[in-house]
Amino acid sequence: MKATKNKTGTAVMAGRKKPFWKKVKDNRTLLLMCLPAVVFFIVFNYCPLPGVYIAFTNYNFRDGIFGSPFVGLKNFEFLIQSGELWKLTRNTLLYNVVFIVLGNVVQITLAVMLNEVRNKYFKKVSQTIMFLPYFISVVLIGAIAFNILNYDTGALNTLLRETGGDPVKIYSMAGIWPFIIIFCQMWQQTGYGSVVYFAAICGIDSGMMEAAEVDGATSWQRIRYIILPSLKPTFIILLLFALGGIMKGNFGLFWNLVGNNSQLFQSTDIIETFVYRTMTTQNNFSTSSAVGLYQSIFGFALVMFSNWLVKRIDPDYALF
Amino acid sequence: MRKNTTVKRTLALTMAVLMGASLAGCGSKSEGASSKVKEDGTIDTSSHEVINMLVLGNKPSNGRCEEMLKELNKVLTDKVNAELELTYVEWADWQTQYNTQLLSGDASLDIITTATDWLYGWENAQKGAFLPLTDDMLKTYAPKTYEQVEADGDWDICKLDGEIMFIPEDNYTQYTNHGMMYRGDWAKEAGIPDGTITKFDEMTTYFKWVKENKPDVVPWDAGKNNLGSLLEPYILSNTNYRQLVGCNAGNYEFWFTSKEDPYTVSSPYMEDDTIYEAAELMKEWNEIGVWREDALNYDGDTRVEMYAGTCAADQHHSQTYYTQVKPNMDVKQPGSDVKMYYWGQENNNVAKPIKTHGAAAISANSKHPERALMVYDLLRNDEECYRYINYGVEGTDYIVTDDGKLSYPEGWDEATDKLDANFWCGRNDDLELPNESWWDGTQDMIANYDKIAYDYEFENLIIDKNAIETQQAAIANVLSEYLPQLGYGKYEDPAKAIDEMREKLKAAGYDEVKASIQKNIDDFKAEK
Repeated sequence: MKATKNKTGTAVMAGRKKPFWKKVKDNRTLLLMCLPAVVFFIVFNYCPLPGVYIAFTNYNFRDGIFGSPFVGLKNFEFLIQSGELWKLTRNTLLYNVVFIVLGNVVQITLAVMLNEVRNKYFKKVSQTIMFLPYFISVVLIGAIAFNILNYDTGALNTLLRETGGDPVKIYSMAGIWPFIIIFCQMWQQTGYGSVVYFAAICGIDSGMMEAAEVDGATSWQRIRYIILPSLKPTFIILLLFALGGIMKGNFGLFWNLVGNNSQLFQSTDIIETFVYRTMTTQNNFSTSSAVGLYQSIFGFALVMFSNWLVKRIDPDYALF
Repeated sequence: MRKNTTVKRTLALTMAVLMGASLAGCGSKSEGASSKVKEDGTIDTSSHEVINMLVLGNKPSNGRCEEMLKELNKVLTDKVNAELELTYVEWADWQTQYNTQLLSGDASLDIITTATDWLYGWENAQKGAFLPLTDDMLKTYAPKTYEQVEADGDWDICKLDGEIMFIPEDNYTQYTNHGMMYRGDWAKEAGIPDGTITKFDEMTTYFKWVKENKPDVVPWDAGKNNLGSLLEPYILSNTNYRQLVGCNAGNYEFWFTSKEDPYTVSSPYMEDDTIYEAAELMKEWNEIGVWREDALNYDGDTRVEMYAGTCAADQHHSQTYYTQVKPNMDVKQPGSDVKMYYWGQENNNVAKPIKTHGAAAISANSKHPERALMVYDLLRNDEECYRYINYGVEGTDYIVTDDGKLSYPEGWDEATDKLDANFWCGRNDDLELPNESWWDGTQDMIANYDKIAYDYEFENLIIDKNAIETQQAAIANVLSEYLPQLGYGKYEDPAKAIDEMREKLKAAGYDEVKASIQKNIDDFKAEK
């Protein structure tokens, strides 16, 4: 009532919309609630922004970020010339595409399968076991992988030798590392990811399921015509969120599995590991910032583009 | 419409304030108000300060170091009203952690251990990590150190553009030329004359024998902390190249001069065919199994393994050999008769130690640089403090024998009781006690080096890093891909890989860097 009255009141008085402070006052609770998030992003994402200037300087500590000599695009030159930037972009993008597509498919499959399990006890146990890898640190995953895969004492090669086979030099084979890394990522993330889909499945109206059962639908038909279509909105939202991070790599996993083994760089070096390496071992702030900046800009363009694409296909699903 | 402008204004204002705040955060620097010289000429030490020193070494966990610091701090508080704290960068990851620690601009650091030949002293000085020290400052706050370094005429080698950047550890004798330590008993069995390796290639015989006859031993169990390190030694032992200090490309020593042509810079990685032989030999070693197949991902300690008898060689420098490995192996592997083959042994290509192999710098961000200098002066020149920081508490950590030598109390075991304060940026021969446990051949070894080694004459050659930074980074990037693999013999066709590497190095700006360094050398020579 009050709001309506106010609205008409203002309209009569000035023929304008509500003044700014009035709007703030009316929505103060909501604004207050989103304040922490706003402050967080300002402090951690906007305040450091002027620092990207490093990417265009020959940085030294004495002159600081803004006093160091300006060198224009020189820091980007070699990266482009050597093909380094292309390799990093390709690796980062391809890994993420596989992580997102394969990850979601596997997660949905698992969630559906879990839903079909009737034995409650078995269901809980398998869910817990699937969940477990999520809590294992990537440092340990790196160590476990080394102990399984290394040539001299690794479990896999010991098995091969004992059974009369020829041991394989896994740490020199760049070609198979994408599979190893994808496997580790899936192993670690699938259990956690499938919970979201499982929850969505639990939220499906049970009346619909029962009706289908009465009409004689097989469980395969139930999955095909009820469950999967119901998961579509969840899937699309998660997909779009994931697209936002498509230029970001899972540094911990890559670094702990590969480290400084340059034999594998061709197929495993992503932007994050490259930035870390140039900064720590080569003491080089400028080049690593340049790569970081490139990552942000390219990522931004990519997100804008995919959002535009989604909007054209179905505006309801666009993020903004 | 009005609403919009208000929103915009508010936003603009917020942004402006934020930007201002974030900029201000970068530039502020506090001026230490303590330790000013009073009118009567004494120094005001009325405020108690904590001096934090960055040291390299493994942080001890046996409590001995803390005990020592407790005692030392009593003395320091008494003398200059300050106490000392140590921040460690551990050996396992020093190559990545050291620079990061300095880059972070940590304002709590006061004294920084540095070195020009291996700890990026000039690189960090040019990047502004160190506080330039004036003669007045040094005379006032570190008078004893100033006097001794001045008397030896060594301040010049620490100057960048006329400003002193660090204090050299110039009054301490040590040879830090690297080489391979191996077991004399096994070398003899392997059929090497006298069990003494005198040529780089003889190591092949030794490693091969170990691999074939000692199934539980990895000949040289090197790991990812030793990336590409044996290519350069091979070059040193087979040519007359001499390393040029202070212009490393990333972690790699890349620029050299030579005996025949001392004022011309070049890189054997680029311009000499010896690198092909070196890479071929490393491939052969890889096939023999001198290191693990997965050396590039392996994280191990050859020295510890050698003490345990599971590794047949350890790569490090002479000082480590005669102070640690030799005495320790005599106890832990009796009869092992550890020897050291040093790089350049066959062609006497060994450099005299440079005086800034250890040095102390004051952090540019230090809040009390004056007091830091006072503490450093005591640690380096005051007998009581010197013994605390280097040897520990008398009676429990060390004893002095009747003839004035350093020894250890009964039951003291290096493995569990070591002090490890890692003060090697200011040791001093005047206060150093001869160590009873050191190998007795030490003096002969040093005398031999003194005879054959050449003087490194470029100690105060300053290379203009700013001019070459971008290209050096690109070079480092290429090297970090190729050298570890060449050094561990991982390429099917090393020659092809080298050609590829050279092409990329050229694209990275090899010629420009070479010309720039050459210009610095020409200027240096003209001035001389």
